[in-house]
Amino acid sequence: MTDAASALGMTNGATDLRSPAVRFGAGRRPEDSTEVVLSDWAGPLGLLLTLIEARRMDVMTVPLGALAGAYLESLATLEGDRITNISSFVAVASQLILIKSRAMLPRHAEPGEPGALPDDGPDPEAELRERLILYRAYRDAGSAMQGVAAFRIGLFRREPTAALAAAIAGARLPDAPPLDPAVLVAALQRLAVIVAPPEPPPETIRRTITLAERAAIIRAALRAAPTIVLQELLRGARDRVVIAVTFLAMLELVKRREIVVEQGMPFGPITARRTTAAERAAAGLTGNMDDTPLDESLESFR
Amino acid sequence: MIEDERRLADAELPGDDTELQDAEPELDLGDDASALLPLGLTESSLEALLFVAERPLSRREIGLLAGVDRETVDARLGDLEVTLRDRGIQLLLSGDRVELATAPDAGALVARYVGADAVRLSPTALEALAIVAYRQPVTKSAIERIRGVDSDYTIRSLLHRRLVVELGRSSAPGRPILYGTGFDFLERFGLTSLDDLPPLDADIAGHLVDPGPTEAVMDGEGEASGA
Repeated sequence: MTDAASALGMTNGATDLRSPAVRFGAGRRPEDSTEVVLSDWAGPLGLLLTLIEARRMDVMTVPLGALAGAYLESLATLEGDRITNISSFVAVASQLILIKSRAMLPRHAEPGEPGALPDDGPDPEAELRERLILYRAYRDAGSAMQGVAAFRIGLFRREPTAALAAAIAGARLPDAPPLDPAVLVAALQRLAVIVAPPEPPPETIRRTITLAERAAIIRAALRAAPTIVLQELLRGARDRVVIAVTFLAMLELVKRREIVVEQGMPFGPITARRTTAAERAAAGLTGNMDDTPLDESLESFR
Repeated sequence: MIEDERRLADAELPGDDTELQDAEPELDLGDDASALLPLGLTESSLEALLFVAERPLSRREIGLLAGVDRETVDARLGDLEVTLRDRGIQLLLSGDRVELATAPDAGALVARYVGADAVRLSPTALEALAIVAYRQPVTKSAIERIRGVDSDYTIRSLLHRRLVVELGRSSAPGRPILYGTGFDFLERFGLTSLDDLPPLDADIAGHLVDPGPTEAVMDGEGEASGA
Protein backbone atom coordinates (compact mmCIF):
# COMPACT_ATOMS: atom_id res chain seq x y z
CA MET A 1 0.00 0.00 0.00
CA THR A 2 2.89 2.30 0.74
CA ASP A 3 4.35 1.61 -2.69
CA ALA A 4 1.03 2.30 -4.29
CA ALA A 5 0.61 5.48 -2.34
CA SER A 6 3.98 6.78 -3.41
CA ALA A 7 3.32 5.72 -6.98
CA LEU A 8 0.13 7.76 -7.01
CA GLY A 9 1.91 11.01 -6.46
CA MET A 10 -1.22 12.32 -4.83
CA THR A 11 0.62 14.57 -2.44
CA ASN A 12 3.13 16.21 -4.70
CA GLY A 13 0.60 18.62 -6.08
CA ALA A 14 1.44 17.77 -9.69
CA THR A 15 -1.63 15.61 -10.12
CA ASP A 16 -4.56 17.15 -11.93
CA LEU A 17 -7.40 17.04 -9.47
CA ARG A 18 -9.96 18.49 -11.86
CA SER A 19 -11.38 15.34 -13.36
CA PRO A 20 -11.70 11.95 -11.73
CA ALA A 21 -9.64 9.24 -13.33
CA VAL A 22 -8.34 5.83 -12.48
CA ARG A 23 -5.15 4.33 -13.84
CA PHE A 24 -3.86 0.84 -13.20
CA GLY A 25 -0.25 0.12 -12.42
CA ALA A 26 1.68 -1.79 -15.06
CA GLY A 27 2.28 -5.49 -14.50
CA ARG A 28 0.16 -5.71 -11.40
CA ARG A 29 -3.32 -6.84 -10.70
CA PRO A 30 -5.81 -3.95 -10.84
CA GLU A 31 -7.02 -4.64 -7.33
CA ASP A 32 -3.53 -4.16 -5.95
CA SER A 33 -2.43 -1.10 -7.83
CA THR A 34 -5.05 1.50 -8.50
CA GLU A 35 -4.25 5.09 -9.12
CA VAL A 36 -7.19 7.31 -8.39
CA VAL A 37 -7.39 10.98 -9.15
CA LEU A 38 -10.40 12.62 -7.58
CA SER A 39 -11.93 15.94 -8.38
CA ASP A 40 -11.99 18.53 -5.66
CA TRP A 41 -14.47 17.66 -2.97
CA ALA A 42 -15.60 14.47 -4.70
CA GLY A 43 -17.28 12.21 -2.19
CA PRO A 44 -16.95 8.59 -1.25
CA LEU A 45 -19.69 7.52 -3.63
CA GLY A 46 -17.93 9.33 -6.44
CA LEU A 47 -14.75 7.43 -5.62
CA LEU A 48 -16.53 4.08 -5.55
CA LEU A 49 -18.38 4.79 -8.77
CA THR A 50 -15.14 5.83 -10.45
CA LEU A 51 -13.56 2.54 -9.39
CA ILE A 52 -16.49 0.58 -10.80
CA GLU A 53 -16.58 2.46 -14.07
CA ALA A 54 -12.83 2.18 -14.51
CA ARG A 55 -13.28 -1.58 -14.50
CA ARG A 56 -16.12 -1.26 -17.02
CA MET A 57 -18.44 -3.00 -14.63
CA ASP A 58 -22.19 -2.48 -14.30
CA VAL A 59 -23.17 -0.81 -11.10
CA MET A 60 -26.39 -2.83 -11.08
CA THR A 61 -24.59 -6.14 -10.92
CA VAL A 62 -21.03 -5.57 -9.70
CA PRO A 63 -20.25 -7.39 -6.42
CA LEU A 64 -19.48 -4.37 -4.29
CA GLY A 65 -17.63 -6.41 -1.67
CA ALA A 66 -14.94 -7.22 -4.22
CA LEU A 67 -14.11 -3.54 -4.45
CA ALA A 68 -13.37 -3.16 -0.75
CA GLY A 69 -9.64 -3.65 -1.22
CA ALA A 70 -9.31 -1.18 -4.08
CA TYR A 71 -11.43 1.31 -2.22
CA LEU A 72 -9.32 1.10 0.93
CA GLU A 73 -6.19 1.50 -1.11
CA SER A 74 -7.55 4.61 -2.79
CA LEU A 75 -8.63 5.90 0.59
CA ALA A 76 -5.08 5.66 1.87
CA THR A 77 -3.92 7.98 -0.87
CA LEU A 78 -6.26 10.84 -0.05
CA GLU A 79 -4.50 14.06 0.76
CA GLY A 80 -4.29 15.32 4.27
CA ASP A 81 -6.53 18.30 3.62
CA ARG A 82 -9.46 15.99 3.06
CA ILE A 83 -9.24 14.70 6.58
CA THR A 84 -12.36 16.68 7.49
CA ASN A 85 -14.34 14.51 5.10
CA ILE A 86 -12.54 11.30 5.85
CA SER A 87 -15.38 9.99 8.03
CA SER A 88 -17.72 9.78 5.08
CA PHE A 89 -15.13 7.81 3.14
CA VAL A 90 -14.56 5.53 6.13
CA ALA A 91 -18.31 4.96 6.45
CA VAL A 92 -18.51 3.68 2.89
CA ALA A 93 -15.34 1.64 3.39
CA SER A 94 -16.84 -0.03 6.45
CA GLN A 95 -19.96 -0.77 4.46
CA LEU A 96 -17.84 -2.39 1.74
CA ILE A 97 -15.99 -4.47 4.31
CA LEU A 98 -19.30 -5.55 5.81
CA ILE A 99 -20.55 -6.53 2.36
CA LYS A 100 -17.37 -8.44 1.64
CA SER A 101 -17.45 -10.27 4.98
CA ARG A 102 -21.08 -11.23 4.51
CA ALA A 103 -20.31 -12.50 1.03
CA MET A 104 -17.70 -14.82 2.53
CA LEU A 105 -20.17 -16.27 5.02
CA PRO A 106 -22.61 -18.94 3.91
CA ARG A 107 -25.88 -17.38 2.79
CA HIS A 108 -28.75 -17.55 5.14
CA ALA A 109 -32.33 -16.60 4.84
CA GLU A 110 -33.38 -13.11 3.74
CA PRO A 111 -34.59 -10.78 6.48
CA GLY A 112 -38.15 -11.44 7.39
CA GLU A 113 -38.06 -15.00 6.15
CA PRO A 114 -38.06 -17.97 8.53
CA GLY A 115 -34.57 -18.53 9.86
CA ALA A 116 -33.41 -14.95 9.50
CA LEU A 117 -31.36 -13.53 12.33
CA PRO A 118 -33.03 -10.69 14.22
CA ASP A 119 -30.12 -8.27 13.74
CA ASP A 120 -29.69 -8.82 10.05
CA GLY A 121 -31.45 -5.67 8.90
CA PRO A 122 -31.64 -4.72 5.24
CA ASP A 123 -29.05 -5.95 2.80
CA PRO A 124 -26.16 -3.45 2.99
CA GLU A 125 -25.10 -4.25 -0.56
CA ALA A 126 -28.53 -3.43 -1.95
CA GLU A 127 -28.65 -0.28 0.12
CA LEU A 128 -25.25 0.90 -1.07
CA ARG A 129 -26.04 -0.02 -4.65
CA GLU A 130 -29.20 2.03 -4.45
CA ARG A 131 -27.25 5.00 -3.18
CA LEU A 132 -24.72 4.55 -5.96
CA ILE A 133 -27.41 4.44 -8.61
CA LEU A 134 -29.09 7.52 -7.22
CA TYR A 135 -25.78 9.32 -7.00
CA ARG A 136 -24.87 8.33 -10.54
CA ALA A 137 -28.20 9.61 -11.84
CA TYR A 138 -27.56 13.09 -10.49
CA ARG A 139 -23.90 13.05 -11.46
CA ASP A 140 -24.84 12.20 -15.04
CA ALA A 141 -27.70 14.69 -14.99
CA GLY A 142 -25.21 17.37 -13.98
CA SER A 143 -22.97 16.43 -16.89
CA ALA A 144 -25.95 16.53 -19.23
CA MET A 145 -26.89 19.97 -17.92
CA GLN A 146 -23.36 21.13 -18.58
CA GLY A 147 -23.59 19.73 -22.10
CA VAL A 148 -26.81 21.63 -22.76
CA ALA A 149 -25.30 24.81 -21.34
CA ALA A 150 -22.20 24.44 -23.51
CA PHE A 151 -24.36 24.02 -26.60
CA ARG A 152 -26.94 26.69 -25.92
CA ILE A 153 -24.63 28.95 -23.93
CA GLY A 154 -27.60 30.53 -22.22
CA LEU A 155 -30.80 32.48 -22.47
CA PHE A 156 -30.59 36.21 -22.48
CA ARG A 157 -33.11 38.77 -21.39
CA ARG A 158 -33.37 42.50 -21.62
CA GLU A 159 -31.07 44.20 -19.20
CA PRO A 160 -32.74 46.53 -16.71
CA THR A 161 -32.99 49.56 -18.96
CA ALA A 162 -36.72 49.96 -18.68
CA ALA A 163 -36.48 51.35 -15.17
CA LEU A 164 -38.42 54.43 -16.18
CA ALA A 165 -41.42 52.41 -17.29
CA ALA A 166 -41.25 50.43 -14.09
CA ALA A 167 -41.08 53.63 -12.08
CA ILE A 168 -44.16 54.93 -13.84
CA ALA A 169 -45.88 51.68 -12.99
CA GLY A 170 -45.06 52.32 -9.34
CA ALA A 171 -42.35 49.74 -8.97
CA ARG A 172 -39.82 50.40 -6.30
CA LEU A 173 -36.45 48.98 -5.62
CA PRO A 174 -36.12 46.20 -3.13
CA ASP A 175 -35.25 47.41 0.32
CA ALA A 176 -31.56 48.02 0.67
CA PRO A 177 -29.68 46.02 3.25
CA PRO A 178 -29.61 47.68 6.67
CA LEU A 179 -27.05 50.44 6.92
CA ASP A 180 -24.13 49.94 9.24
CA PRO A 181 -24.38 52.65 11.96
CA ALA A 182 -20.62 53.07 11.77
CA VAL A 183 -21.03 54.44 8.25
CA LEU A 184 -23.42 57.10 9.54
CA VAL A 185 -21.03 58.03 12.34
CA ALA A 186 -18.14 58.34 9.92
CA ALA A 187 -20.21 60.47 7.56
CA LEU A 188 -21.34 62.71 10.41
CA GLN A 189 -17.79 63.13 11.60
CA ARG A 190 -16.71 64.18 8.14
CA LEU A 191 -19.53 66.71 8.03
CA ALA A 192 -18.91 68.01 11.54
CA VAL A 193 -15.30 68.97 10.94
CA ILE A 194 -14.96 72.72 11.60
CA VAL A 195 -13.92 74.23 8.36
CA ALA A 196 -11.53 77.18 8.52
CA PRO A 197 -13.34 80.34 7.44
CA PRO A 198 -12.49 81.26 3.90
CA GLU A 199 -10.22 84.21 3.19
CA PRO A 200 -12.36 87.31 2.97
CA PRO A 201 -12.40 88.78 -0.48
CA PRO A 202 -10.29 91.93 -0.88
CA GLU A 203 -12.35 94.84 0.39
CA THR A 204 -13.27 97.43 -2.15
CA ILE A 205 -13.32 100.87 -0.68
CA ARG A 206 -15.22 103.34 -2.69
CA ARG A 207 -13.01 106.24 -3.58
CA THR A 208 -14.66 109.58 -3.54
CA ILE A 209 -13.11 112.39 -5.46
CA THR A 210 -14.55 115.77 -4.76
CA LEU A 211 -14.19 119.06 -6.50
CA ALA A 212 -13.05 120.65 -3.24
CA GLU A 213 -10.26 118.14 -2.91
CA ARG A 214 -8.99 118.69 -6.42
CA ALA A 215 -9.41 122.47 -6.10
CA ALA A 216 -7.32 122.37 -2.93
CA ILE A 217 -4.59 120.59 -4.84
CA ILE A 218 -4.65 123.23 -7.56
CA ARG A 219 -4.59 126.04 -5.01
CA ALA A 220 -1.70 124.39 -3.15
CA ALA A 221 0.23 124.00 -6.38
CA LEU A 222 -0.34 127.64 -7.25
CA ARG A 223 0.86 128.72 -3.85
CA ALA A 224 4.13 126.97 -4.50
CA ALA A 225 4.60 128.24 -8.04
CA PRO A 226 3.29 131.27 -9.94
CA THR A 227 1.98 129.13 -12.78
CA ILE A 228 1.21 125.50 -13.22
CA VAL A 229 0.50 123.38 -16.26
CA LEU A 230 -2.53 121.19 -15.79
CA GLN A 231 -0.96 118.32 -17.70
CA GLU A 232 2.03 118.47 -15.38
CA LEU A 233 -0.24 118.47 -12.34
CA LEU A 234 -2.03 115.39 -13.60
CA ARG A 235 1.12 113.55 -14.61
CA GLY A 236 0.85 110.01 -13.39
CA ALA A 237 -2.89 110.15 -12.88
CA ARG A 238 -4.51 107.22 -14.66
CA ASP A 239 -8.02 107.53 -13.33
CA ARG A 240 -10.25 109.32 -15.77
CA VAL A 241 -12.48 110.45 -12.93
CA VAL A 242 -9.52 112.10 -11.22
CA ILE A 243 -8.58 113.86 -14.44
CA ALA A 244 -12.15 114.94 -15.15
CA VAL A 245 -12.83 116.17 -11.62
CA THR A 246 -9.54 118.05 -11.54
CA PHE A 247 -10.48 119.72 -14.79
CA LEU A 248 -13.90 120.60 -13.42
CA ALA A 249 -12.33 121.94 -10.24
CA MET A 250 -10.09 124.10 -12.38
CA LEU A 251 -13.12 125.45 -14.22
CA GLU A 252 -14.83 126.16 -10.89
CA LEU A 253 -11.80 128.12 -9.77
CA VAL A 254 -11.85 130.03 -13.06
CA LYS A 255 -15.49 130.82 -12.53
CA ARG A 256 -14.74 132.10 -9.06
CA ARG A 257 -12.00 134.30 -10.54
CA GLU A 258 -9.39 132.58 -8.47
CA ILE A 259 -7.28 131.52 -11.37
CA VAL A 260 -6.86 132.35 -15.02
CA VAL A 261 -6.34 129.57 -17.54
CA GLU A 262 -4.69 129.84 -20.88
CA GLN A 263 -4.24 127.32 -23.66
CA GLY A 264 -2.22 128.47 -26.60
CA MET A 265 -3.33 125.84 -29.05
CA PRO A 266 -5.81 122.97 -29.13
CA PHE A 267 -4.55 120.03 -27.04
CA GLY A 268 -1.67 122.23 -25.95
CA PRO A 269 -0.60 122.70 -22.37
CA ILE A 270 -3.17 124.35 -20.13
CA THR A 271 -1.41 126.92 -18.02
CA ALA A 272 -3.04 128.28 -14.89
CA ARG A 273 -2.05 131.17 -12.68
CA ARG A 274 -3.64 132.92 -9.82
CA THR A 275 -5.62 136.05 -10.65
CA THR A 276 -4.06 139.28 -9.60
CA ALA A 277 -5.83 141.68 -7.23
CA ALA A 278 -6.40 144.10 -10.11
CA GLU A 279 -8.14 141.39 -12.13
CA ARG A 280 -10.32 140.47 -9.23
CA ALA A 281 -11.16 144.15 -8.60
CA ALA A 282 -12.02 144.55 -12.25
CA ALA A 283 -14.43 141.66 -11.90
CA GLY A 284 -16.04 143.39 -8.95
CA LEU A 285 -14.63 141.12 -6.33
CA THR A 286 -13.10 142.14 -3.10
CA GLY A 287 -9.62 141.21 -2.19
CA ASN A 288 -10.74 138.18 -0.21
CA MET A 289 -11.00 134.86 -1.90
CA ASP A 290 -14.45 133.36 -2.13
CA ASP A 291 -14.47 130.88 0.71
CA THR A 292 -17.91 129.43 0.05
CA PRO A 293 -17.72 125.70 -0.50
CA LEU A 294 -17.54 124.44 -4.02
CA ASP A 295 -20.75 123.12 -5.45
CA GLU A 296 -20.08 119.44 -5.74
CA SER A 297 -23.37 118.81 -7.49
CA LEU A 298 -22.13 120.61 -10.55
CA GLU A 299 -25.47 122.41 -10.69
CA SER A 300 -23.71 125.54 -11.83
CA PHE A 301 -22.66 123.83 -15.07
CA ARG A 302 -26.21 123.41 -16.25
CA MET B 1 -29.62 1.62 11.78
CA ILE B 2 -29.88 2.55 8.14
CA GLU B 3 -33.63 2.73 8.45
CA ASP B 4 -33.22 5.06 11.39
CA GLU B 5 -30.98 7.26 9.34
CA ARG B 6 -33.53 7.30 6.57
CA ARG B 7 -36.31 8.27 8.90
CA LEU B 8 -34.18 11.03 10.29
CA ALA B 9 -33.29 12.26 6.84
CA ASP B 10 -36.88 12.13 5.65
CA ALA B 11 -37.93 14.09 8.67
CA GLU B 12 -35.79 16.93 7.39
CA LEU B 13 -37.65 17.06 4.13
CA PRO B 14 -40.24 19.79 3.93
CA GLY B 15 -43.67 19.01 5.21
CA ASP B 16 -47.02 20.39 4.23
CA ASP B 17 -46.58 23.47 6.37
CA THR B 18 -43.26 24.30 4.83
CA GLU B 19 -42.74 27.99 4.44
CA LEU B 20 -41.60 28.84 0.98
CA GLN B 21 -40.65 32.43 0.60
CA ASP B 22 -40.38 34.45 -2.53
CA ALA B 23 -36.96 36.02 -2.66
CA GLU B 24 -37.74 38.23 -5.65
CA PRO B 25 -39.09 41.73 -5.08
CA GLU B 26 -42.67 42.38 -6.03
CA LEU B 27 -44.36 45.39 -7.48
CA ASP B 28 -45.86 47.49 -4.73
CA LEU B 29 -49.17 48.82 -5.92
CA GLY B 30 -50.12 49.85 -2.41
CA ASP B 31 -53.76 50.26 -1.46
CA ASP B 32 -54.63 51.72 -4.82
CA ALA B 33 -54.45 48.38 -6.61
CA SER B 34 -58.17 47.82 -6.31
CA ALA B 35 -58.85 51.37 -7.44
CA LEU B 36 -57.08 50.86 -10.77
CA LEU B 37 -59.36 50.67 -13.75
CA PRO B 38 -59.29 47.07 -15.00
CA LEU B 39 -57.62 47.05 -18.40
CA GLY B 40 -58.11 43.44 -19.31
CA LEU B 41 -55.28 41.31 -20.59
CA THR B 42 -54.75 40.38 -24.20
CA GLU B 43 -51.95 38.21 -25.43
CA SER B 44 -50.26 41.17 -27.10
CA SER B 45 -50.55 43.44 -24.06
CA LEU B 46 -49.10 40.66 -21.91
CA GLU B 47 -46.23 40.32 -24.37
CA ALA B 48 -45.63 44.07 -24.23
CA LEU B 49 -45.65 44.07 -20.43
CA LEU B 50 -43.13 41.26 -20.22
CA PHE B 51 -41.02 42.95 -22.90
CA VAL B 52 -40.74 46.13 -20.86
CA ALA B 53 -40.35 44.53 -17.44
CA GLU B 54 -36.72 44.43 -16.42
CA ARG B 55 -37.23 41.45 -14.11
CA PRO B 56 -39.39 38.33 -13.90
CA LEU B 57 -43.00 39.15 -13.08
CA SER B 58 -45.24 37.00 -10.92
CA ARG B 59 -48.67 36.03 -12.10
CA ARG B 60 -50.11 37.96 -9.18
CA GLU B 61 -48.38 41.15 -10.29
CA ILE B 62 -49.64 40.74 -13.84
CA GLY B 63 -53.15 40.13 -12.55
CA LEU B 64 -53.02 43.19 -10.31
CA LEU B 65 -51.73 45.45 -13.07
CA ALA B 66 -54.30 44.32 -15.61
CA GLY B 67 -57.12 43.93 -13.14
CA VAL B 68 -57.83 40.36 -14.14
CA ASP B 69 -58.01 37.12 -12.21
CA ARG B 70 -55.37 34.44 -12.09
CA GLU B 71 -57.13 32.17 -14.55
CA THR B 72 -57.05 34.89 -17.19
CA VAL B 73 -53.35 35.45 -16.58
CA ASP B 74 -52.68 31.72 -16.88
CA ALA B 75 -54.73 31.49 -20.07
CA ARG B 76 -52.97 34.45 -21.72
CA LEU B 77 -49.60 33.09 -20.66
CA GLY B 78 -50.50 29.80 -22.25
CA ASP B 79 -51.53 31.56 -25.47
CA LEU B 80 -48.31 33.54 -25.51
CA GLU B 81 -46.20 30.47 -24.83
CA VAL B 82 -47.75 28.71 -27.81
CA THR B 83 -47.35 31.76 -30.06
CA LEU B 84 -43.70 32.19 -29.12
CA ARG B 85 -42.85 28.53 -29.45
CA ASP B 86 -41.00 28.92 -32.75
CA ARG B 87 -39.80 32.46 -32.22
CA GLY B 88 -36.49 33.90 -31.11
CA ILE B 89 -38.10 35.13 -27.90
CA GLN B 90 -39.70 32.64 -25.57
CA LEU B 91 -41.42 32.57 -22.22
CA LEU B 92 -39.18 31.62 -19.34
CA LEU B 93 -41.05 30.06 -16.43
CA SER B 94 -39.78 29.53 -12.92
CA GLY B 95 -42.33 28.79 -10.25
CA ASP B 96 -44.89 31.56 -10.23
CA ARG B 97 -42.77 33.95 -12.25
CA VAL B 98 -42.37 34.54 -15.95
CA GLU B 99 -40.11 36.59 -18.15
CA LEU B 100 -39.21 36.93 -21.80
CA ALA B 101 -35.84 35.58 -22.83
CA THR B 102 -34.08 34.56 -25.98
CA ALA B 103 -34.88 31.12 -27.33
CA PRO B 104 -32.35 28.37 -26.53
CA ASP B 105 -31.41 27.96 -30.19
CA ALA B 106 -30.51 31.64 -30.46
CA GLY B 107 -28.19 31.51 -27.46
CA ALA B 108 -24.95 31.01 -29.36
CA LEU B 109 -25.55 33.97 -31.67
CA VAL B 110 -26.70 36.32 -28.92
CA ALA B 111 -23.79 35.19 -26.77
CA ARG B 112 -21.39 36.38 -29.45
CA TYR B 113 -23.01 39.80 -29.36
CA VAL B 114 -23.02 40.17 -25.58
CA GLY B 115 -19.67 38.44 -25.19
CA ALA B 116 -21.02 35.74 -22.88
CA ASP B 117 -19.57 32.29 -22.43
CA ALA B 118 -21.18 29.04 -21.34
CA VAL B 119 -21.31 28.42 -17.60
CA ARG B 120 -18.54 26.14 -16.40
CA LEU B 121 -18.80 24.28 -13.13
CA SER B 122 -16.69 21.64 -11.45
CA PRO B 123 -18.13 18.10 -11.49
CA THR B 124 -18.81 18.43 -7.79
CA ALA B 125 -20.78 21.62 -8.20
CA LEU B 126 -22.70 20.08 -11.11
CA GLU B 127 -23.66 17.10 -8.93
CA ALA B 128 -25.00 19.29 -6.17
CA LEU B 129 -26.74 21.61 -8.63
CA ALA B 130 -28.40 18.68 -10.38
CA ILE B 131 -29.73 17.39 -7.06
CA VAL B 132 -31.14 20.82 -6.24
CA ALA B 133 -32.60 21.28 -9.73
CA TYR B 134 -34.36 17.92 -9.85
CA ARG B 135 -35.46 17.63 -6.22
CA GLN B 136 -36.17 21.20 -5.17
CA PRO B 137 -37.09 22.36 -2.63
CA VAL B 138 -34.36 20.39 -0.93
CA THR B 139 -32.33 20.70 2.27
CA LYS B 140 -28.56 20.60 2.53
CA SER B 141 -28.72 17.34 4.45
CA ALA B 142 -30.71 15.72 1.64
CA ILE B 143 -28.08 16.85 -0.87
CA GLU B 144 -25.34 15.48 1.34
CA ARG B 145 -27.19 12.22 1.81
CA ILE B 146 -27.24 11.65 -1.94
CA ARG B 147 -23.68 12.84 -2.53
CA GLY B 148 -22.41 11.08 0.58
CA VAL B 149 -20.14 13.97 1.49
CA ASP B 150 -20.25 17.34 3.18
CA SER B 151 -21.52 19.86 0.63
CA ASP B 152 -21.45 23.07 2.61
CA TYR B 153 -18.75 24.72 0.53
CA THR B 154 -20.31 23.59 -2.75
CA ILE B 155 -23.74 24.95 -1.85
CA ARG B 156 -22.31 28.24 -0.66
CA SER B 157 -20.43 28.54 -3.93
CA LEU B 158 -23.63 27.86 -5.92
CA LEU B 159 -25.54 30.37 -3.79
CA HIS B 160 -22.86 32.95 -4.43
CA ARG B 161 -23.24 32.44 -8.17
CA ARG B 162 -27.04 32.66 -7.77
CA LEU B 163 -27.44 29.30 -9.49
CA VAL B 164 -29.07 28.13 -6.27
CA VAL B 165 -31.40 30.29 -4.18
CA GLU B 166 -32.92 29.92 -0.75
CA LEU B 167 -36.62 29.20 -1.04
CA GLY B 168 -37.51 29.23 2.63
CA ARG B 169 -37.26 26.96 5.61
CA SER B 170 -38.53 23.48 6.22
CA SER B 171 -40.83 22.86 9.14
CA ALA B 172 -38.63 19.93 10.16
CA PRO B 173 -36.68 20.16 13.44
CA GLY B 174 -33.96 22.76 13.17
CA ARG B 175 -35.92 24.46 10.41
CA PRO B 176 -33.26 23.77 7.77
CA ILE B 177 -33.02 26.03 4.75
CA LEU B 178 -34.69 24.81 1.58
CA TYR B 179 -32.78 25.33 -1.62
CA GLY B 180 -34.02 25.60 -5.17
CA THR B 181 -33.08 27.14 -8.48
CA GLY B 182 -34.10 30.53 -9.84
CA PHE B 183 -34.08 32.38 -13.13
CA ASP B 184 -30.31 32.70 -13.14
CA PHE B 185 -30.03 28.93 -13.26
CA LEU B 186 -32.48 28.62 -16.15
CA GLU B 187 -30.79 31.42 -18.08
CA ARG B 188 -27.23 30.19 -17.58
CA PHE B 189 -28.12 26.62 -18.53
CA GLY B 190 -30.31 27.57 -21.48
CA LEU B 191 -33.52 26.09 -20.06
CA THR B 192 -36.95 27.63 -20.57
CA SER B 193 -38.35 25.87 -17.51
CA LEU B 194 -37.50 23.04 -15.15
CA ASP B 195 -39.47 20.75 -17.46
CA ASP B 196 -36.69 21.41 -19.97
CA LEU B 197 -34.11 19.67 -17.76
CA PRO B 198 -32.45 16.63 -19.36
CA PRO B 199 -34.37 13.51 -18.31
CA LEU B 200 -32.92 11.56 -15.41
CA ASP B 201 -31.53 8.12 -16.12
CA ALA B 202 -34.55 5.90 -16.74
CA ASP B 203 -32.98 3.08 -14.73
CA ILE B 204 -33.24 5.06 -11.57
CA ALA B 205 -36.85 6.08 -12.02
CA GLY B 206 -37.85 3.22 -9.78
CA HIS B 207 -35.30 4.31 -7.20
CA LEU B 208 -36.80 7.73 -6.92
CA VAL B 209 -39.95 6.50 -5.26
CA ASP B 210 -38.90 8.09 -2.01
CA PRO B 211 -39.42 11.75 -2.75
CA GLY B 212 -41.69 12.17 0.23
CA PRO B 213 -43.27 15.54 0.82
CA THR B 214 -40.68 17.19 -1.42
CA GLU B 215 -42.49 15.98 -4.48
CA ALA B 216 -45.80 17.00 -2.98
CA VAL B 217 -44.60 20.58 -2.77
CA MET B 218 -43.18 20.30 -6.25
CA ASP B 219 -46.55 19.14 -7.53
CA GLY B 220 -48.17 22.21 -6.07
CA GLU B 221 -45.59 24.39 -7.77
CA GLY B 222 -46.09 22.51 -10.98
CA GLU B 223 -49.79 23.25 -11.01
CA ALA B 224 -49.04 26.87 -10.34
CA SER B 225 -46.67 27.09 -13.26
CA GLY B 226 -48.75 25.04 -15.65
CA ALA B 227 -49.81 27.89 -17.89
